[in-house]
Amino acid sequence: MAKIEIRGVTKRYESEDAAQGLAVENVSLTIEDNEFVTLVGRSGCGKTTLLNIIAGLVEPTGGEVLVNGRRVTGPGGGKGMVFQQHALFPWLTAIQNVEFGCKSRGMPPAERRGSAAQLIELVGLRGSEEKYPGELSGGMQQRVAIARALALDPEILLMDEPFGALDELTRIEMQGELLRVWSTRKKTVVFVTHSITEALMLSDRIVVLSARPGRIRQECAIDLPRPRERANPRVIALYEEIWRNLS
Amino acid sequence: MKRSGATSPEGAPRSRGPALAAPRLLGAAFVAGLVLLWQAASLAGVLKPFYFPPPSRLALAFWELAWEGFPEGVRIGTHILITLARIGQGYLLAVGVAIPLGILIGRSSVLDRLSLPIITFARSVATLSLLPLVIVWFGVGELSKVLLIAYGCFWVMLTNVIAGVKYIDPLLIRAAQTLDTSPAGIFVRVVLPAALPRMFAGARVALGVGFMVIVGAEMIGTIQGLGALIMEARTYYRTDISVVGMVAIGLFGFGISVGLERLERVLLPWHRGLESVRR
Repeated sequence: MAKIEIRGVTKRYESEDAAQGLAVENVSLTIEDNEFVTLVGRSGCGKTTLLNIIAGLVEPTGGEVLVNGRRVTGPGGGKGMVFQQHALFPWLTAIQNVEFGCKSRGMPPAERRGSAAQLIELVGLRGSEEKYPGELSGGMQQRVAIARALALDPEILLMDEPFGALDELTRIEMQGELLRVWSTRKKTVVFVTHSITEALMLSDRIVVLSARPGRIRQECAIDLPRPRERANPRVIALYEEIWRNLS
Repeated sequence: MKRSGATSPEGAPRSRGPALAAPRLLGAAFVAGLVLLWQAASLAGVLKPFYFPPPSRLALAFWELAWEGFPEGVRIGTHILITLARIGQGYLLAVGVAIPLGILIGRSSVLDRLSLPIITFARSVATLSLLPLVIVWFGVGELSKVLLIAYGCFWVMLTNVIAGVKYIDPLLIRAAQTLDTSPAGIFVRVVLPAALPRMFAGARVALGVGFMVIVGAEMIGTIQGLGALIMEARTYYRTDISVVGMVAIGLFGFGISVGLERLERVLLPWHRGLESVRR
């Protein structure tokens, strides 16, 4: 059975101009267990809206999303999320941020502290547990955000341009980190980006969305082993192909 | 937030120390210089002592206030204690009502829309213009004074509490939702802490308002309190005494404001962190 099934999802926002109001139109997509799928598209093509619909944060106007065969009705419940802006709670330290979800679930303090410490270690932030988000660099903030999303051990990890606000070098480093974390904790990942290279480096499958309203324009599976080389001829060929479909 | 926030743990406090101490010393030296200049101008006859009582005269007036009192028998300590007690009561009353009410209004868009015109209207009514009404309603006793101070502090605090609760980054709420947090949990663990800095700012401004309103509040039926002292000195043409009263109010207002700022830094350490990043 598919992990995530998106069936004919449409999202229309209230707007004077009907064409502007339509963000996503009739998108259907099936994502398998432990698959890493990337949604690529231009800014404003509705890819974030689609991700929010999968997350249960936004209700679709039409169609439905099934996770494990059950209809998504709200956020949480095994769907972890990482946002473009880190969205960390500024009044909590790094480790308290990671513990947040476990506390919501009523896990006893000692237990959740232990698992949070492990995650902090996993994302390479040992020594920064007691720092506030405002004291961390952009890359470190996103590491905390990833650890926080993983803390509830979700089956699905939704990532909304998580490295979009980072500089190029930090971004490449974080892509490597994400693959490393993903290899130790297998999840189904839906990753939104507008960077074709990022999509090529990370995913099992790339879904290219057309400009507003977002519709699926192309799907391509990438069967190259990771870590991938940017200069790999197949990567370059795919880049060109996706670029043509986007423009 | 930029990445410049990643200061090295050892580097930050050391560089902060002298950078802060220098302007503070400079500020003190500047004030001392002004006082000396004032005294010199008075000695040279440029400033007339009745209009601008020189520091030496103020010192004498303070001495008189400390030992004999003004009016006779009411010493400076009594004035100060009484004034602080009135401000304290009015302020706590205002803050105590404004926090729950502001949270309620800030969480409900209907209440927010209903209350906005009333709040804007009430804020623009100068506290002292209520004086005649307050006397008619509550007489010339303590209650009237406390209520006037409370009125002045209340609206500033209320608007800040409402704003603090209302203008929360919706992303933080979404993040909490994806982390299986219940609506009640989101309120207690996200909305309230996110609103705290704004509430603290409101509490500081409101206290300043309390000190501003006190002179007017103490115009009614009392000879005790720093405000009453200032008004009483006027009847006796004792400008030196009223200036001492002014200085006392100013010093306490300043001291308490600095105290609150310190308290905020202890209670909201993360917020100072954010500010230092922005600077």
